[in-house]
Amino acid sequence: MGRLTTTSLLTWACALVAILLAISVTEANQSADLAIKVAKLNDKASKAKGIIELDSATFEEVLAMPRNYSMVILFTALSPQFQCAPCKNFDPEYKLTAAGWSKLPVKSQLYFGVLDFKVGQSVFQKFNMNSAPSVLYFPATGALSSPPPFDRYDFAKSGFQAEPFASWLSAKAEVQLKVQRPFDFLAFAVKAIGFSGLLALGHILYGRAGKVMRSKYLWAALSLFTIFVMISGHMWNQIRHPPYTMTSRDGRPGFIAAGFQNQFGLETQIVAVMYAVLCGAVISLISSVPRTEDPSKQRLAIWVWLTLFGIMFSILLHFFRLKNPAYPFRLLF
Amino acid sequence: MSAETTSTVARVLKPTILILIAVVAIASRLFSIIRFESVIHEFDPWFNYRTTQHLVKNGFYEFWNWFDEKSWYPLGRVVGGTVYPGIMVTSALIHNVLHFFNFPVDIRNVCVFLAPMFSGLTAFSAYLLTKELKDSSAGLLAAAFLGVAPGYISRSVAGSYDNEGIAIFLLVFTFYLWIKAVKTGSAFFGLLTALFYFYMVSAWGGYVFITNLVPLHVFTLLLMGRYSNRLYVSYSTFYAVGTLLSMQIPFVGFQPTRTSEHMAALGVFGLIQLFAFAELVRGYVSPKQFKTLLRSGIVAVGAVSVVGLTLLSLSGVIAPFTGRFYSLYDTGYAKIHIPIIASVSEHQPTAWTSFFFDLQMLIFLFPAGVYLCFKELKDEHVFIILYSVFASYFAGVMVRLMLTLTPVVCVSAAIAYSTLLDTYLEKSEHVLASNLKGIQAQSSVTDTPASNTPATTTTEAKAGGKKAAGKGTPAKTVTKAAESESKTHAKTHSDKKRYPIFNWDSRAMVIVQLTWFLFMFAWHCTYVTSGSYSSPSIVLASRQADGSQVIIDDFREAYYWLRKNTKEDAKVLAWWDYGYQMAGMANVTTLVDNNTWNNTHIATVGKAMATSEEVSYEVLRQHDVDYVLVLFGGVIGYSGDDINKFLWMIRIAEGVYPKEVKEVDFFTPRGEYKVDHEATPTMKNSLMYKMSYYRFAELYGGNAVDHVRGARMPAEGPTLSVLDEAYTTENWLVRIYKVKDLDILGRDLKDATAFEKGKVRKTSLLKRK
Repeated sequence: MGRLTTTSLLTWACALVAILLAISVTEANQSADLAIKVAKLNDKASKAKGIIELDSATFEEVLAMPRNYSMVILFTALSPQFQCAPCKNFDPEYKLTAAGWSKLPVKSQLYFGVLDFKVGQSVFQKFNMNSAPSVLYFPATGALSSPPPFDRYDFAKSGFQAEPFASWLSAKAEVQLKVQRPFDFLAFAVKAIGFSGLLALGHILYGRAGKVMRSKYLWAALSLFTIFVMISGHMWNQIRHPPYTMTSRDGRPGFIAAGFQNQFGLETQIVAVMYAVLCGAVISLISSVPRTEDPSKQRLAIWVWLTLFGIMFSILLHFFRLKNPAYPFRLLF
Repeated sequence: MSAETTSTVARVLKPTILILIAVVAIASRLFSIIRFESVIHEFDPWFNYRTTQHLVKNGFYEFWNWFDEKSWYPLGRVVGGTVYPGIMVTSALIHNVLHFFNFPVDIRNVCVFLAPMFSGLTAFSAYLLTKELKDSSAGLLAAAFLGVAPGYISRSVAGSYDNEGIAIFLLVFTFYLWIKAVKTGSAFFGLLTALFYFYMVSAWGGYVFITNLVPLHVFTLLLMGRYSNRLYVSYSTFYAVGTLLSMQIPFVGFQPTRTSEHMAALGVFGLIQLFAFAELVRGYVSPKQFKTLLRSGIVAVGAVSVVGLTLLSLSGVIAPFTGRFYSLYDTGYAKIHIPIIASVSEHQPTAWTSFFFDLQMLIFLFPAGVYLCFKELKDEHVFIILYSVFASYFAGVMVRLMLTLTPVVCVSAAIAYSTLLDTYLEKSEHVLASNLKGIQAQSSVTDTPASNTPATTTTEAKAGGKKAAGKGTPAKTVTKAAESESKTHAKTHSDKKRYPIFNWDSRAMVIVQLTWFLFMFAWHCTYVTSGSYSSPSIVLASRQADGSQVIIDDFREAYYWLRKNTKEDAKVLAWWDYGYQMAGMANVTTLVDNNTWNNTHIATVGKAMATSEEVSYEVLRQHDVDYVLVLFGGVIGYSGDDINKFLWMIRIAEGVYPKEVKEVDFFTPRGEYKVDHEATPTMKNSLMYKMSYYRFAELYGGNAVDHVRGARMPAEGPTLSVLDEAYTTENWLVRIYKVKDLDILGRDLKDATAFEKGKVRKTSLLKRK
């Protein structure tokens, strides 16, 4: 019994050693493989300002398990036939972020990849991706056996700018990525020239068009326009970006948004016009009517403006009741 | 009636009307008192009320040096240095004066009625302001409009004891004094402007509006070539005294010399000195020399100021815009960078319906008034135009700033309305007579184009302006200004000959229609005030099916429970919205409150709410929290509850703890925010979810429906192991939980709870076998 135990123990020990050896060999192999891979990636990335261009095959390759680096990949569609405007907008911002890669203390922490739809359709299908651009972040696998879940950058929340993207990525990959916008000499030059041009133009015009600039009617028109635009909720549109109109479903007019705190683009314009008409009626009643010499013409003018005033106000109230059905007041209808 | 009797009657009528307007203004703000009781409303007022109590009880110096250890635990808050003390000092003063005369009025009633009282004064200052712009009849209209306009009532109903309650009075009155100062050029009125500006600075952060609008007015007048000694005296007095005074408020401190929002005022102050200097030099040198001097002077000054400003901002002496203010210019700024600002409902942009709701017909009379200001375009009209344009922009960006727009809308609409009335009520003979006068004046001006003082005076008198020629100002400037003015007036008269309204029927129609609109306006205001702006929000009213009213008083019930059943120094954690109320009503120590000065601390509270029990318990223990308070509206359908605010808590927490709290985890794969069985695991495990829905399913026998979100809840509700339910109010609106102590036997609280429930864990079962 005792001998048997010893033998079996020995056998077990041998087996264990063998297994350990095998593991260390594969690990050595793997780490050698990894080192080659990383070297390749470093090479590629440093050649293209930190960005590694991928296609379906290389995509699988760089993401193959195991990997000791994280990978952020931009799925984009830059070919003209897709007409992907956001892709084009985000591309320079992504490149700007990737430019910070070369300043990372440990290069093999994170790599920037780009996969265009043209060369990576199968990957797009695999990830069930219907829209571009998308940014996915694949963390390092370490010794894990199953791939860790990837993260998706939320464009809707954080926007298309490089700075929020870099801070998102820095938090994910635990690195210090800094976005350094290159000084845009061209834009600066254009602005400088444009500004001095404007100054010169102003100087030239001041003599001739000074009368126009000093005309109070111009300023009155400008001020009134600004006021009308503002009081009809334009800033709300600027901030909330509502649709311009909506197709109606249940017979409700499509240009009026349901709900008191909601509005469409067209709706605010209609309101602005209504305000302008109402205000115009008041101004006419005040200043143009008393300048009419002929009594019957004057009477006609008053009646016309007054009727317009009343009808427009009724429409406005009606409009308001559509937004707030509980509102109890009405004028004509 | 002779002219003399008319004026006597008017002299009696005007004060009577003004008093009546004040009475109406006050009365229309009392709905909430009549319907509920004399109680402080909402959130911020509770802090103001608490500090006022402190001030009355302990005196001014104690108040000034008050370090409040009961808020922002464990940090505390220096109240004296972080508060606009104007409103507290005002009510304490009123209280003390009343007590001096042996009127034993409770400080609470002073606080409750402060805003309505001041609204009477606001109406009066609107009268004064409009009188300076047109005449006293327009002034009366403006007073009436401002007295009842919902845009102003929204922040000044009885019980709404907030800074805005007195600040709008101060705003309008300061503007009145400023216009008076510009018109008369008197240092006395400049000084008064500065004093009231100081009062305004002490009362409301919105003083920045004055700080920018007045210099803008001066700057525009300079651009229009209307520099005068009147302007110089009034602005210099106002700026020098006003700025020095404003720096006495600890909360403002050195901001007037440092932050960008005060820079405009400083810059214009410098500019007007240069203008004055140039005017002085002009008198001593030849025109040609002067031109050269002026040119080189402009270049030198420009270069120096550009270099200086750049250096100062680079070295950090001049701070960049503060967040709240910056979000006015760059409307996308707050959304990305400061969720805490974006989360506040009064910082949202204004939809057109809100404009109409708050101002009704005034909103379209207002541009007509601005147009009329353009027709007159004296110095004071320029001010109203600038005020209109900028205030309408700001009101569009932020709902809260409707408050600054409302006064100018009322003033300007009153000008339009009263001009309409003038036109259609004026006697025909008057119009013809004034025409004749205008033509005479014009001819006299054209006859002697050189400085013609007599003609000027007639035109001036006709125009109703009281711009007194030579009231202590150098004759030269006055003649020059008057000359140009008389020319413009003459022109107005020559190409715009006015005729009376000939037919009585058209007159009658216009008047009838206008009067009817006034009625509608009054109805609208009453409707809006009574329906929308008179709810105290700490006491809710709802109607039952049979029409009877039910009062829901859960908040006060909960706070009273806290006050009576917790130990003196109990720390209660809740979302910052309820901080002031808890401190004021429950007298407990809070972690965060409506002051929101420390984003990290708020994020920590958000983290405690948004994480699982284990993580959250650690936070709770670290901050010595004894109780946690949540609002839950699912039973009665109160939509302003914490589950609806939860997303903001998550967002704010994510900003500081991006690893522990992730907004994405709270959304279902389809991107929905769900609380029923589809809710994500993170959502279901969060402390907020558990506290809200704890025992909720039991209430309905496992068939619960959340009435706010219309969600059918799972039959098996969440379980809690680190908290004990301490108190739930009648309608389940407020739920208070007690944080458990560490387990006596050193067990994990989860295990301990399971053990107590008799659910012995499986592993221990195995072990026992």
